[in-house]
Amino acid sequence: MSTLRRDFATREALVAYIAQEFPEATGPVSPIRGGRQAALAQLAAIQPETYGDTRNYLDGTVTRLSPYLRHGVLALTEVRDWLQQRRYSWKTAEPLVRQLAWRAYWQTLYDQWGDGIWEDREPYKTGWQPEDYANDLPGDIPDASTGLLCVDSFSRELQDTGYLHNHVRLWLAAYVVHWRRVKWQAGARWFLEHLLDGDPASNNLSWQWVASTFSHKPYYFNQDNLARYSRRRWCEACPHDGRATCPFRGSYEQLARRLFPHADLHRLGTRR
Amino acid sequence: MPTSIVWVHGDSLSPTNPALATYPSAPAVWVWDDELLRAWRISRKRIVFIYECLLELPVEIRRGDVVTEIRAFAQEKGAQKVVTTSSPSPRFQRFCRELAQTLEVEVLPVPALVPVTPGMDLQRFSRYWKVAEKVIYR
Repeated sequence: MSTLRRDFATREALVAYIAQEFPEATGPVSPIRGGRQAALAQLAAIQPETYGDTRNYLDGTVTRLSPYLRHGVLALTEVRDWLQQRRYSWKTAEPLVRQLAWRAYWQTLYDQWGDGIWEDREPYKTGWQPEDYANDLPGDIPDASTGLLCVDSFSRELQDTGYLHNHVRLWLAAYVVHWRRVKWQAGARWFLEHLLDGDPASNNLSWQWVASTFSHKPYYFNQDNLARYSRRRWCEACPHDGRATCPFRGSYEQLARRLFPHADLHRLGTRR
Repeated sequence: MPTSIVWVHGDSLSPTNPALATYPSAPAVWVWDDELLRAWRISRKRIVFIYECLLELPVEIRRGDVVTEIRAFAQEKGAQKVVTTSSPSPRFQRFCRELAQTLEVEVLPVPALVPVTPGMDLQRFSRYWKVAEKVIYR
């Protein structure tokens, strides 16, 4: 077996070589660069002071370190140590350190469960049974042709860039599992094809958290939440805005009755 | 003649990973796992990202069946031992078991962000965090 090349004058030359060597791997290339140098530059640019208050907003100062952390280009401990060395207080550092701990937690569970992360860890708490969920992703979701500006944009961003803001991941996953009633495994496989940080543990167990097979209740959202954290980026131009045709319109109670008619509503509660 | 090689895998793409740091002069190898790429339908952008990481590492880049390629690389270098960095992936652990049939395998741990102790409650993140937050930051 011959070895693969390492001498590329430009990124374009590398991409052309990859297209030739791996013809079955298709699609666009991400603007996000791989490598330790890119990882260290990204680390140097993080903004711990504003991270905690803004991380749920799409224009918040999130770190975008996940592709590097997933592949061990940067260790979790390096990010924690970076914060400690700069003497950030626990109050400032805590929101970011907590997110690092989520990844460590998923990895610990992966170590224990192995390929069991592909199985429902617990029953769905949605009032639906596993067989009520479709096995495959409906084509209009990867085709970005659902007609919902937000969802179609999320789908394109995933496939074009290999990166999604965490809140967008939650919205898109909730849409797939709860609005379209598709098994979380189908969505998880789709994400793993595309996410640069696609890691079976963080990915699958987060999908299970949304689905409620690894949490006390399903994660779902409404239009108010999406509009607020996206600053109405999609609602503004969406033909469904302000109309009953927006599937996300309504209070959490109204949506719970619509999405989970057989569930115990008291147990579902509401999530922000 | 070196007696060890370093195997770099997809969870350890730093030039400072424990295996490369501990064996800085050992020849190192990466193997594109053709079966995994096919099974997971890995898209081009993920391959480009990983390839860019590899170009900053002192590794020979190969592809095919991972265990076969590592064995061949070890033989070419006259090595009897494979050193690598730990991973929770069951596929990684299976490869290590297969390699251990013909080679010595040393798996170096990644420094833990949160030390996991026996009996630690992992049922929910909130319970894990109650323990973790006490030790995670100084």
